[in-house]
Amino acid sequence: MNADDGAPRLTRASVLRLSREGGVAHMPGLARPRRIRCDRCSEAQRAELQALLDEAARYGERQVPGADRRLLHLGVEDGSETPVWSLTVAEDSVSDSLLRWWRLALSEPFSADESGPA
Amino acid sequence: MRTMPIRPFLPPYLLERIAGSRNARQRDRAYRTLHDDQGFRARAGAAELPEGSARRGEPVRHVHSAGHTRELPGERVRSEGEEASGDPAVDEAYQGLGATYALYWEAFQRHSLDDRGMALLATVHYGEDYENAFWDGRQMVFGDGDGELFNRFTIALDIIAHELTHGVIQHEAALVYADQAGALNESLADVFGSLVKQHRLGQDVESADWLIGAGLFTDRVEGQALRSMAAPGTAYDDPLLGRDPQPGHMRDFVETQDDNGGVHINSGIPNRAFHHAAMALGGHAWEEAGQVWYDTLVDERLARNSDFVAFAELTLDNAGRRFGTDGEVRRAVHEAWRAVGVLS
Ligand SMILES: [Zn+2]
Repeated sequence: MNADDGAPRLTRASVLRLSREGGVAHMPGLARPRRIRCDRCSEAQRAELQALLDEAARYGERQVPGADRRLLHLGVEDGSETPVWSLTVAEDSVSDSLLRWWRLALSEPFSADESGPA
Repeated sequence: MRTMPIRPFLPPYLLERIAGSRNARQRDRAYRTLHDDQGFRARAGAAELPEGSARRGEPVRHVHSAGHTRELPGERVRSEGEEASGDPAVDEAYQGLGATYALYWEAFQRHSLDDRGMALLATVHYGEDYENAFWDGRQMVFGDGDGELFNRFTIALDIIAHELTHGVIQHEAALVYADQAGALNESLADVFGSLVKQHRLGQDVESADWLIGAGLFTDRVEGQALRSMAAPGTAYDDPLLGRDPQPGHMRDFVETQDDNGGVHINSGIPNRAFHHAAMALGGHAWEEAGQVWYDTLVDERLARNSDFVAFAELTLDNAGRRFGTDGEVRRAVHEAWRAVGVLS
């Protein structure tokens, strides 16, 4: 599970995990992981997610200066919920679209089985 | 134009020392920072701030708008001495920068973040529905909130002052933003954030609310603020946000990898110690407890990786130096750190 290898190819069985943490306050409810099931996405949506992951992977893990910045953890699981890849990026370094997906992941059909806090 | 003195966030020697330490989590984080910092330093030359204030006692402020993009600093809307813009976020930021400058100058004779008159720069309307405020290493950045859970972040004066205090810390102890040193960094930002608000409103310790970020939540949230200095862990309890995770005593210290090792979580402990000391001393919190905390923030002995005990011991020493070793102030400070389980 290494971010240096680039993002894996998403299949219909893939599950994308998104979690957001940090910022001026740590709020456990907002930091909970959210999941996007590729089997509930259209081909076009899956292609968009793939492009966003590829972009984030190209940017890579780098820390940004300052304080109260927010981080976005990205993870991909295969069909049996085994993590196959993960990456942590500064939220303002990645596309706005990933944040829109994070917001969407709150609601059906993307996150019916959201898991609890760690 | 004068460039702001850019400092690396962690000096390479410290990173190497942490990287050689036995704590694997710390080590990983240090390696990442070591790697990333080189990139940042390479870019740092490009970061220029507008000219600062040559007159001690007078700030230079610039407020910009990102126009809902994530471009920094964005378009300049209001600079020092200019009339109100009519845009509440812009004008709140301008007033907040002024109130923060005023506390540091009037209480501690500090001339802006670097004590050399550095220009105070803020950007509002950052991003879309952006529910955060942060310090990016040279300026403050404020989102408008999503309107569902969060209002615009400039509503809370203590949050504006919190972000600016990160700039003061960066120019002084430059506390590492992880684990206990990071929680001290966060706590200092809350302490001076609250003091700016109290100073602006002319409040004594009894009339202050000792909350951080009151007014940020919309009516839909079950909570009063982001944090409570008087009673950490009680600021909110909401179905969507969860429950305020802050401890107020060392016995409840949270070991976690989240939030850079719990910097916004365990800051509740030193926050409560400050509140305890200030309440015992009474009057205006910035005059005695605040002075001791300020003396400690600028104390050269405060190491970048200080833990709570090291910080507490320095506050005792500074209380003794300024207010007498047998004095009431030193006793109150000692009692406060005992009350939260940091000192015995
Ligand atoms: Zn902070």
